[in-house]
Amino acid sequence: MVKRIVLIKDTAATGPDTTRDFYNRFLDGIREHKLLDEIMVVRAADLGYYGHGLVVKIMPNNIVYHNVQNTDIERIIKSTIEKNQILDDLILNEKPKQIKVALRNCGLIDPENINDYIAHDGYKALSNVLLEFTPEKVIDELKKSGLRGRGGAGYPTWMKWKACRASRSNPKYIICNADEGDPGAYMDRSILEGDPYSIIEGMMIAAYAVGASKGYFYIRAEYPLAVQRIDEALTKCREVGLLGENILDSKFSFDIDIRLGAGAFVCGEETALMASIEGKRGTPHPRPPYPTGSGLWGQPTVINNVETLANVPYILCYGGDNFAKIGTNSSKGTKVFAVTGKIKNSGLVEVPMGIPLKEIIYDICGGTISGKDVKAVQTGGPSGGVIPNKNLDVLVDYDNLQKMGSIMGSGGMIVMDTDDCMVDIAKFYLGFCVEESCGKCAPCRIGGFQILQILNRITEGKGKIEDLATLKRIAVSMQKASLCGLGQNAPNPVVSTLNYFEEEYKEHIINKRCRAGKCVALLTYTIIQEKCKKCALCFTNCPVKAISGNRETGYKIDQSLCTKCGKCKEVCKFKAVSKE
Amino acid sequence: MSKFNKDTIIAIHNQETAEQPDYISVGMSACGIAAGAQEVYDVFAKQIKSRNFTIKLRKCGCAGMCYAEPLVEVKANGMPVVTYGRVTEEIAQLILEKHVANSILVNDCVVNIR
Repeated sequence: MVKRIVLIKDTAATGPDTTRDFYNRFLDGIREHKLLDEIMVVRAADLGYYGHGLVVKIMPNNIVYHNVQNTDIERIIKSTIEKNQILDDLILNEKPKQIKVALRNCGLIDPENINDYIAHDGYKALSNVLLEFTPEKVIDELKKSGLRGRGGAGYPTWMKWKACRASRSNPKYIICNADEGDPGAYMDRSILEGDPYSIIEGMMIAAYAVGASKGYFYIRAEYPLAVQRIDEALTKCREVGLLGENILDSKFSFDIDIRLGAGAFVCGEETALMASIEGKRGTPHPRPPYPTGSGLWGQPTVINNVETLANVPYILCYGGDNFAKIGTNSSKGTKVFAVTGKIKNSGLVEVPMGIPLKEIIYDICGGTISGKDVKAVQTGGPSGGVIPNKNLDVLVDYDNLQKMGSIMGSGGMIVMDTDDCMVDIAKFYLGFCVEESCGKCAPCRIGGFQILQILNRITEGKGKIEDLATLKRIAVSMQKASLCGLGQNAPNPVVSTLNYFEEEYKEHIINKRCRAGKCVALLTYTIIQEKCKKCALCFTNCPVKAISGNRETGYKIDQSLCTKCGKCKEVCKFKAVSKE
Repeated sequence: MSKFNKDTIIAIHNQETAEQPDYISVGMSACGIAAGAQEVYDVFAKQIKSRNFTIKLRKCGCAGMCYAEPLVEVKANGMPVVTYGRVTEEIAQLILEKHVANSILVNDCVVNIR
């Protein structure tokens, strides 16, 4: 009978993978000690540790050794495995960096089975709230928890609820904003698909607290599986009386409908979202009046983000105080980030507020794929900004990111390495916002387009140094005069890259050079004659016949014909093609 | 089904947490399905039926480890809960033959254990 499982993985960032070699040695050791029947040795694919050399994890004791050498095998078997003694010089005592609150059930429960949700404390919060709490007490508990909106702006949730509760008009509405549109952010989708009941429960608690009788899911149509799972969950809830009249034998009645977003980014903005639900064109209108006073169909409305609502049952189930223990003074709880880009382990991470950005990038996600340096991290999607490598020590919460000229946003985190061009990144986000601008107000419609034109010019090598001042001027007017968050924040990527990487902009303009080699128009491919072996590989592979010459005289690239596809550099075996 | 009240919720909770059956759980969010989770799920479903395994097969959402999709979590034979990553149809076969049938973990696929 196997008593222990030993997992082995080489986590060193550089050098060849020695997992297999070490595994064989370890197995030999186990064989020598005649422990083959009791110990199972397994090569792991990943243990969640990076840059710790050879890691050995012993289960079920959950002992983790790091930087293990071949010479340590004997010691580990003799003391830890045979006598249960822990080797202090090898032990890795690292607290888990992730805390799962919003994602507590994701990947754990069956999203299509309500009983499984109930087994994981589902509807416990709701039954407590409906039968024992007054609405004021619910709002108080939220206040104690310090929960702030996870959709981007970070407005305290309890204040929203309180303002809506104070409105005299009836009926009131609850809207779940599931129109997740930031490029590279998908935490809401994950919760909608993995734990639909918790969002529904969160909405019900919100409805009880503010006195609403009707709720809406506003989900983007690009999430068909999310829509399907939410729809099935709602049907199930109606079947067992968790939605409808007199829920759980209380006086509370509530029902929820789904509305699909047709794919406009601006509909994630709350006033545009409500217009869309009302069947109007999805364009924003000025606030105030705020939705909590006059929202959907002119009635008081609370709009909360998916992740915010997923936190609510947790707070009411385990207490606002417990939630407030996680995080920093101004930002409580955890935040889910979708880490993507040039990162080794892309995916969702849920970390307590106030964790250093560095730990997310290196300790949880394992650094960049290429092993090159991180150049910058873009947070907050197209409304956010970049955080340069030198500031990776920043503690991630709402206020700190704002000080850095970025925002928390919905939690997208795009990692860039030294192969990424900052002007190109700014251009990408601006292009996104120009495409998504609804066109209602001039600063956003015209300003965005003008900035994009200038950026295009710069990346084509036609920029002028005065352009930088113009960029800043347009950005300020957009920030001050746009109608909604989309236009106000659209220039943020430009402002923040200009702030941290002005050098790179100047290089593009003055030296006509892109150091990352991204801006195609600024590149020149040349053949380094000293290294060229005249093999003719580039000559035969050039798709536009821009390379001329023969095997005696050597080869030359005709710049007027070259389309800078990079094929010649790719095929050259002697590194004789340079790209600058 | 009759209408739930507080007692039914407590009863379901107690009943569900009392039994701790062995299971194979496949991550079936859009990300997992895109990486091939449906095919993996089908292999498990077919094999469990044809070979009369008693283990329960279920779906779950995304656990956040997108780089290692499709993810399969296995709890079997009193061993710790093991998560396998980048599971293919072949690896799914191995998981059944080795892990479920013979309590041997599959090499080079484990991404988490708890």
